[in-house]
Amino acid sequence: MTFDDKLRQFIYAFFIREQRAPRVAEMPAALSCSSREVKAGLKRLAQSHAFVLQENGELWRAAPFSAVPTAFPVEIGKLQWWSNCIWDALGIPAMLGKDARISASCGCCNYEMILNVKQGKVTGAKGVIHIAVPARQWYHDIVFT
Amino acid sequence: MLLFRSEQHVNRWCAQWNRPRGGTLSLHQGWQLAIEWYGDRLSPSWLPKTVPEAQAALAKIGLVEEFWQLA
Repeated sequence: MTFDDKLRQFIYAFFIREQRAPRVAEMPAALSCSSREVKAGLKRLAQSHAFVLQENGELWRAAPFSAVPTAFPVEIGKLQWWSNCIWDALGIPAMLGKDARISASCGCCNYEMILNVKQGKVTGAKGVIHIAVPARQWYHDIVFT
Repeated sequence: MLLFRSEQHVNRWCAQWNRPRGGTLSLHQGWQLAIEWYGDRLSPSWLPKTVPEAQAALAKIGLVEEFWQLA
């Protein structure tokens, strides 16, 4: 297993356990490496777009998790995470293989739209998903996408 | 990628933000896409999807129009 694989797995395990992103300063001790190696590894992971860093070098996104609060909270039992969009919100129970409650709202009018993932099906609010950016341009501005 | 109450609300949002209408999918398709995209994310051997793999994942849930073409 490469260092980047270990770093990626550490980040996901931390997110799942702590319901937040690990700070860069928390990673070296956990991975028995230097801060410099962590920062270089994060930059390599960010090339995949699955990981996005903030300007200060901290994680902004480890898809489908968001490191910052958003309009897409996802609850699984007593645990809660944030996600960056409805795709990622559905991605959390898809990744974890768990039932979930997604407290979303209409992108137009903020009308509450609660979705439940239960036994592999989505129930609850009726609606439609819209993506404004053509697939070819998804990674030109991942924050807007 | 946002969630809307209806197609009418999508149109209203596009008008509000002066954006052309993008692509839409049903909640069922969104869930299937989430499984395709994230179902293997915790695998130790996970690698980002190649463009052909990502295109195949989109096609598998019926997203085949020009809007969904990655390259």
